[in-house]
Amino acid sequence: MSPRTKGKGASSFGIGTTSVLTETVARVLLLPTVVAAVAILVKGYAQPGDGFAAGVVASLGVMLQHLALGRREAERLAVVRHAPILAGAGLVLSLLVATVPLLLGDPVLTHYPRPGGHVIYLGTLELITPVLFDVGIFLLVFGSVVGTMNAFARTISEEQEYAGPGDSGLEYEE
Amino acid sequence: MRPPSEITCGSPGRIQRSERPNQRRFTVEHPINGALLTLAPLLVALASAPAAVFAGWIRTRFAAPVGAAFALLAAVTTLVVYLRGGGEVNVAWAPTWDLRLHFALDGLAALYALLATGVGFLVLAYSSRYLPLHLEHGGRDPSEGNRFYGFMLLFMGSMVGLAMAQDLILIFVFWDLTAVASYYLIGYDRHDANSRASALMALLVTGVTAVLLLIGALMFYAAYRTYSVPELAGLVRPGPLLNTAGLLIAIAALAKSAQVPLHFWLPRAMAAPTPVSAYLHSAAMVAAGVLLLGRVYPLLQESELLLNVLLGVGLLSMAVGGVLALTRDVLKQLLAYSTISQYGYVVFLYGLGGKYGAVGASFYVIAHALAKSALFLTAGAVSQATGEDRLSRMGGLRKPLPVLAAASGAAAAGLAALPLTIGFFKDELFFEAALQRGPVFAGLAVAGAALTIAYAWRFWSGIFLGTPRDGAHGVPAALVWPVAVLGILVLVGGVFVEPFAVLARSAGAAYYPGPVESVKPAYHLDLRPENLMALATFGLGALLVVSRRAWVGAAWGAARIGEKVGPEKLYEVGIIELNRFSDRVHSYEVRDLRSRIASILLPAGVLVGLAILATPNVDVYRVGSVAWQDAPLLLALVAVAVSAIAATFTRRHVTLALVLSSAGYVLAAVYAFFGAPDVALVAVLIETVVTLLFLATLKLVPYKILHRQARLPLQRRGRKIATSAIAGAGAFAVAWGTLSQPAAERSVSQDLVELTPEAHAKDVVTATLADFRGLDTLGEITVVALVLLGVATLLRKGRLR
Repeated sequence: MSPRTKGKGASSFGIGTTSVLTETVARVLLLPTVVAAVAILVKGYAQPGDGFAAGVVASLGVMLQHLALGRREAERLAVVRHAPILAGAGLVLSLLVATVPLLLGDPVLTHYPRPGGHVIYLGTLELITPVLFDVGIFLLVFGSVVGTMNAFARTISEEQEYAGPGDSGLEYEE
Repeated sequence: MRPPSEITCGSPGRIQRSERPNQRRFTVEHPINGALLTLAPLLVALASAPAAVFAGWIRTRFAAPVGAAFALLAAVTTLVVYLRGGGEVNVAWAPTWDLRLHFALDGLAALYALLATGVGFLVLAYSSRYLPLHLEHGGRDPSEGNRFYGFMLLFMGSMVGLAMAQDLILIFVFWDLTAVASYYLIGYDRHDANSRASALMALLVTGVTAVLLLIGALMFYAAYRTYSVPELAGLVRPGPLLNTAGLLIAIAALAKSAQVPLHFWLPRAMAAPTPVSAYLHSAAMVAAGVLLLGRVYPLLQESELLLNVLLGVGLLSMAVGGVLALTRDVLKQLLAYSTISQYGYVVFLYGLGGKYGAVGASFYVIAHALAKSALFLTAGAVSQATGEDRLSRMGGLRKPLPVLAAASGAAAAGLAALPLTIGFFKDELFFEAALQRGPVFAGLAVAGAALTIAYAWRFWSGIFLGTPRDGAHGVPAALVWPVAVLGILVLVGGVFVEPFAVLARSAGAAYYPGPVESVKPAYHLDLRPENLMALATFGLGALLVVSRRAWVGAAWGAARIGEKVGPEKLYEVGIIELNRFSDRVHSYEVRDLRSRIASILLPAGVLVGLAILATPNVDVYRVGSVAWQDAPLLLALVAVAVSAIAATFTRRHVTLALVLSSAGYVLAAVYAFFGAPDVALVAVLIETVVTLLFLATLKLVPYKILHRQARLPLQRRGRKIATSAIAGAGAFAVAWGTLSQPAAERSVSQDLVELTPEAHAKDVVTATLADFRGLDTLGEITVVALVLLGVATLLRKGRLR
């Protein structure tokens, strides 16, 4: 048995099996990916990156789990199972940031503190409402991409169970 | 920076009156509390629909009582707030577009809000017994009632909103909300094709004309920079603009009030369950039309032309509705045509103008709403009792249903304007307004009122008098007492008219510029012209009743002609032709993916080409110099071009996905060279996700189909190459032209860069997305959420997990 076939899980999208090396890397990389995503999110106001990019980075981390470890392994993460709820929560959070100023007598999407106002710092992180808006975008993008992936992964695995083991792999027979 | 919004509102306790006498405009120390008090009727009405649906979700039988309780609460709240002096709330929620949440509980708003909530309460109480019978009759699940109560109360809430709205855009929003609610209510029996077609007809007629309301509002805004009706009232001057914009708004109102020639949707809407018809005719939907006429009356009355249009349409509707009501056999059809004619009176009154016209229109709406809702509920009750819905198959029901007979007799007498009913006063004001205009109008008014007597008698006598028939049984008390309450109100109004007159005067004062205090309906035992006209009406009505045989043939003939060449026929032909046209375009557009893409690319390329030919092109296309340090950028661009060309020769789908993504990655590198790290970062991430999902999508297509597709010979090669070349050349020319012109003026982006520190940010892109262009971002992320729903619908049959 070669090392290439030693991996135990089929990947989510039915693209063959994966090696132990890939699996290990996938497991080890999950946490750093999330840390990188959060960094992109909170540093967005000072450096390149924002909620959107952070959401995509985090969902790429989940994508790696799907590809390397398979759907069941990926779905052991609670955030993966509840991705659509995260997406909805993100949308609601962004809408709240947009509409709450109305109740305070300001136009839609007024951010606080206003220009020239005093900003509270947490280390180098500025506590301003655009960050909250960005968190909403992050949740929405992460939830949407992961939710889409889950929908694909489930449909593919159901179809493979239906079609049997003979019809897998994307390699063409010439 | 954006200006702070203002909140003006209040209660009479701490008043500071402003200079406008007709406007209640107060300021108070606690703006939020005052605003909440003024908005209380609207908030309660809007909360009722979710409350009833939630109650019904817990237990099906809870929905009706909770809904009725909320309707009653909304009615009481409206009354209390109105008696405390009303108030006004005016918040700019999007000041840059002049969009305001401008609500006021003036007399007009109070009248219609009270009708919507009060009649709504009685109709819901009636429904609590009627609807289970209706559902049982159709063999349907009782839980379907939730949908009914939900939309019924949404209807009520949007009517209250419409009544209180003072801003044309806000009016438009609630206007369309009533159309949506009515669509679901008319089409409530959704298994029935006729019901669905009727609902669609109502939605199309009132929805398409609603767009005219929006256009009229925008025309006023373009001229006077405000959507506010009270402000516009002080600004408009007679002229073509007022005539055009006012006419557009009037058409929307007349279509909603089912006035000829846009009346045909109303008799069809009788496909709805009876409580819906009762509500639709007396207090919602159809009343919304005359409510809008009242609201914009300060604008309309500036133009003689518009008042004459109202006069003409009102007269025509009175005649057509009255004559057709005398020919209909189905109970609800008869009532539907009578509604058309009755709202014709109201429109006619608006057209007559003057203080009697203004107050009379509002009084007429009250009297008609009480009588008409009672008659509709009667029709529903007797249909339940006999299982029949035609006048010719009924009769003699006074024996098994004595209370109903008495109550609906009072309502019919009210409609027919007999003394000792509230209806007498509606005709008194009607005659006074007509008399002021001249003898011809007085004669027409008498003729119209006589028609009313004839069909009111025909309805009531056909059901309750004559020989009793077999098989009639009693009906539950809940189907009778709402009718009795309405009948008693009709009689009470015939004795103590002042409370109703106060409401009508206060409504009239909200839109009539002159004083209205002298309009006092009362009994006068003398030979004044109004009394003589009333006597003439009674005589003529009695004559119409006894001489039915002589004229019924002619009436039938008129109805036939209307069916053959009337506006309904036009509507049907129009819908069929539009459908055919749409099918043709659709079948061409979705035939296959290739022609679909070609149908986008080819017109785009051709139009761009024409635009390029039409614009001057001297010195537009320039070739700049290339320096050594641009070499990496050039290499990257060559790589992009190579992968783009390679994509056209690739046959296998997986390879194609990879070649396309390689082009995307290299483009990301180009962005990085240009010093746009944000864009480059997002481009790389998006390219990765899209490529992986692209591969996953390919996995969903059965392998054999993909394989076969990849081997198919290329068809119509020449045409495809030509399409691509035209589209590509257009895009190339535009890109070249744009990049040749360095921005001569200060661009927006420079402003944004300078504003960034103001927003406490150091990264311009993020500040733009979250702050300067936050509303755009909000729209875009909503699209992302919708895409997720779309994927779930396509792949998982709507299940998200």
